[in-house]
Amino acid sequence: MFLTNIKVLAVGLAVIAFYTIIAQVIPQLESEVPEALDLSAGVTPEVLVTAGEDLFMGGAGCTSCHGLGTRAPNLRTDHAGEGTIGERCGSREQGCKEYLYESMIDPGAYLIEGFPPIMPDARRQLSNEQIWAVVAYLESLGGEVTVTADDIGASASAPSAPASSGAAPARTATTDPVQLLTENACIGCHQLEGAGAPVGPAFDGMGSRISADRIRTGIIDPEAEIAEGYEAFAGMMPATFGDQLSAAQLEIIVQFLAARQ
Amino acid sequence: MMIDFLTLLQAAAEAGRSYGDFPAVGGRGAVWIAAEVHLMFAAFVLGVPMFAVITELIGIVGKDERYDKLSKEFTRLLVFAYSATALWGGMLLFLLTTLYPAFWGHMADIFSMSMWIYAGLFFVESFTLYLYYYGWDRWKSGRAKWGHWGLGLLLNVWGTIVMFIANGWLTYMMSPPEGTTVAEGLPDGVTMWNAIANATWMPINIHRLIANAVFGGSIVAAYAAYRFLAAKTPEEKAHYDWMGYVGTFIAIATFVVLPFAGYWLGREMYEYSQQMGVTMMGGFMSWLWIVQAILIGVLFLAANYYLWTGMGRIPGAERFLPYTKWMLLVLIVCWIVWGTPNTMIASRDEFAAMGGSRHPFLGVLGLMSGKNTAVNFMILTTFLSFLMYRRGNRIPTVTWAKAGTLTQGAMFVLSSAYVLWLGIYGYFVPTITRISYSVYQVAAVLACIIGVWAIDIFLMRGSQSRGEIRWGEMPDRSQYAIFVLAVTFTWLMGLMGFARSGIRQHWHVWEVMRDTSDRAVTPALGYAANMISLTVVIFLGLVAFIFWLGGLAERAVSKKPAPIGQPQAVTGG
Repeated sequence: MFLTNIKVLAVGLAVIAFYTIIAQVIPQLESEVPEALDLSAGVTPEVLVTAGEDLFMGGAGCTSCHGLGTRAPNLRTDHAGEGTIGERCGSREQGCKEYLYESMIDPGAYLIEGFPPIMPDARRQLSNEQIWAVVAYLESLGGEVTVTADDIGASASAPSAPASSGAAPARTATTDPVQLLTENACIGCHQLEGAGAPVGPAFDGMGSRISADRIRTGIIDPEAEIAEGYEAFAGMMPATFGDQLSAAQLEIIVQFLAARQ
Repeated sequence: MMIDFLTLLQAAAEAGRSYGDFPAVGGRGAVWIAAEVHLMFAAFVLGVPMFAVITELIGIVGKDERYDKLSKEFTRLLVFAYSATALWGGMLLFLLTTLYPAFWGHMADIFSMSMWIYAGLFFVESFTLYLYYYGWDRWKSGRAKWGHWGLGLLLNVWGTIVMFIANGWLTYMMSPPEGTTVAEGLPDGVTMWNAIANATWMPINIHRLIANAVFGGSIVAAYAAYRFLAAKTPEEKAHYDWMGYVGTFIAIATFVVLPFAGYWLGREMYEYSQQMGVTMMGGFMSWLWIVQAILIGVLFLAANYYLWTGMGRIPGAERFLPYTKWMLLVLIVCWIVWGTPNTMIASRDEFAAMGGSRHPFLGVLGLMSGKNTAVNFMILTTFLSFLMYRRGNRIPTVTWAKAGTLTQGAMFVLSSAYVLWLGIYGYFVPTITRISYSVYQVAAVLACIIGVWAIDIFLMRGSQSRGEIRWGEMPDRSQYAIFVLAVTFTWLMGLMGFARSGIRQHWHVWEVMRDTSDRAVTPALGYAANMISLTVVIFLGLVAFIFWLGGLAERAVSKKPAPIGQPQAVTGG
C-alpha cells in the first residue's frame, strides 16, 4: 500500500510539474499598470504638465490632428501668426484654462474657422483629471500654468462632468457606419469618398486591399501592423477604440470598410 | 449577531488603510490561495450533490441498490468537504477584510444585503445536507425514499442559489453597471439586483454549474481509483472500478458541453468591453490559451486511454481495439493543431523573420477555423470511443440492426465531413462569417451525438450479451489515467480562474475601483502557474486527507459486531 501511495503521489506531482514547467518556458508577459495621476490637493504644476504632455503626445491621440496644420489648428507651434496655444489663449475673455477645458469637452463651442468639426468629446477617452492635465500642458506652451487641484475638484462635481473615477466613457448608440466614423473622428485621418486627410490609409477601397480581420485588428490594436507607406505616422492612432465602440458597432464599421472595394 | 459581525468587518474596512501585507506570499498571494482553494472545495460540494441525486434517482427507478450505495458514498465525502469549504471561505473573508479593507468596504456598501442572505442560506444548506446524509438509512424505502430524494434535490437548489449570489459579486468586479463610482456607489436608479445581474453573471452561472459537475465527477472518480488500487478483495475492486467508470463518464460527458458555455461567456465579455475581450484573447494573455489547449489535449487523451483500456474487461470489445491507434493519431494531430498559436507577441526581429505576426505555414493552423475543426474532431473521436466501449459486449437482435449501424456510421461520416468542409471553407470567407461557422460545426457534432445515441438506445434493446463486463479486472495503469484527469481538471480550474480574474488587470472593479497597491501588476503566466500549482497541491492534499478520514469512519462502522444471525460486514461503503 505504501508503494501505491508513492506512485499516486508521484503521478499527481509529475502532472502538476509538467504544466508548471510549460507555463515557465512560454514568453513571460506581465500586464503593466499605467502610471496613475496623483492630482490631490498638493499637486504641482510640473506634475500636471508632465502628465498632460504624456497624454497629448501618446494615449490621447491629440497629435493625430493638432500639428499637421490641415485638420486642426497647431497648438505646439504658431497658428495664424498668434503664437503657440499658451501664448494665444491668454487673450480669451473667459480665461485660458476655462477656454481650453470647454474646448475639450464641447469641441463645437469654439470651432476655428477653416477646420472641420471632427474633434471628439475628450470625456469619451479621458478622465476629468487627465483632461485638466492636458489643459495644464497646453497652458505651459508659451503661457503660465494656472490649473490647480481646485479646478479638478470643482469640475468633477459639476452635473455635466464625467465620473472622476475613470469610469468607462459613454458610448454613442448609433449604428450608422458613416456617423460612427464621423463621431469617432476617424475621417480626420482616413479619407472617405475623397473627404478627410491622408494621415492613415484611405477608407476608400480598403476592402480590396486588406481583409476584414486585418481591419478589425487595426482598429483595436493600431500598432499591431503598420500599413506600408504609413510608418511615419505609427503611434498616432489612439488604441482606445476597442473600448469606445461596442462589439456590434465595431463589426458594423469593419463590415462597412471591408465592403468598400 | 450576523449583522454585528458584518458591521465590525465594515468598520475594519473603513479604518482608512487601503492595503495590508502578508508574510512570505504577500497580500495578493494570500488572497489568491484562499480564494482558489475555497473555490475548488465549493465546486466539489456543489458538483457532487448533482450526481448524488442523479445516481440515487437511477437507483430508485431502476431498483438497483448499487446506485444507492454509490450515491451515499458520494454524500459521505460531502460532509467532510463542507467543513473545509466553510473554513476556507472564512479564511478568504478575513484575508479580504485585513488585506484589502477599502475594496471590501466598497463591496459591502453595494452587496451587504446579499451577503446576509448568502450566510443564512449556507446554514440552511448545511442542515439539509446533514438530514440528507444521516437520514439515508432511516428513509430507505417507499414514499419516505422519495422524500429523501427530495432533500437531495433541495440541497442542489440551495447550493445553486448560494453560488449564484457569490457569482454576482465576482462578476460585478468584471462588468459593473455603467456609471458606478467608488465615491457614490451605484448610480441613481440602479439597484443591488442590477449589480448582481450584470452582463457576465448568467454566463458565469451556467459555466460554473457545468464545470462543477465535471469537477465533482473527476474527483469522485479519483477517489474510486485510489480505493481500487487499495482494494483487497475482488468485490471491492469491482465496486470501485464501476464507481470510477461512472465518475469519469459523468465528468467527460459534461465536459464536452463546457466549451459552449465558455463561448457565451467570452461573447458577453467582448460585448461589455472590447478592451477586456482583446486583453483576454489577443493581449498579454494570448499564451494562456495555448497552455489551456495543452491541458485539454491531455484530458482527451487520458479519457480515451481509460476507455480503451477498459475494453480489455469487456468480452467482445477486443474487435474494436485495432481502430484505437488511428483514433489516437486523430487525437494527437488535432491536439497539435489546437495548440498552434495564432498571432502572438514577438520581437521586431521575430516578426521580420516570420514576415508578419503569423508564421507563414503554422499560422494557418492557428486560425479559429483550424482550431474549431480540431476540437470538434476530438469530441467526435471521444464519443466514438465511448460508443465502442458501450457496444463492446453486445450483439443487437433487432431486425434493423445492420441498417441502424450503417445509419450511425453515416451520421459520423456526414458530420465529420461537414465539420471538415466548414473548417476549410472558413479560410475563404470574411471573419464574421467564419465565426458563425463554429456554431454550425458544434451543431453538427451535437446532432451526431444525439442522433447516434438515440438510435443506439433502440438498437440495443433486447440485445444479446457476449459476456458480462468483468468489473475489477482493470490494469492499474488505467486508474492512473483517472488521476491524471482529476489533477488536470483541478489545474485547469486554477488556470481559468487566473484568466477570469487577470483580465481585470489593475482594476479591483473594472474601470470603477483601481488597484493602487504595489502588487497591481497582473503577473506573467510563470508566476501564475506557480500559484496555481500551489493551490492544487493544497487542495488535493486536503482532499486526500478527507478521503482518508472517510476510510477511517468506514472501517469503524465495519468493525462493529453484526447483530446475531446476520453476517459480519467485510467492507463498508
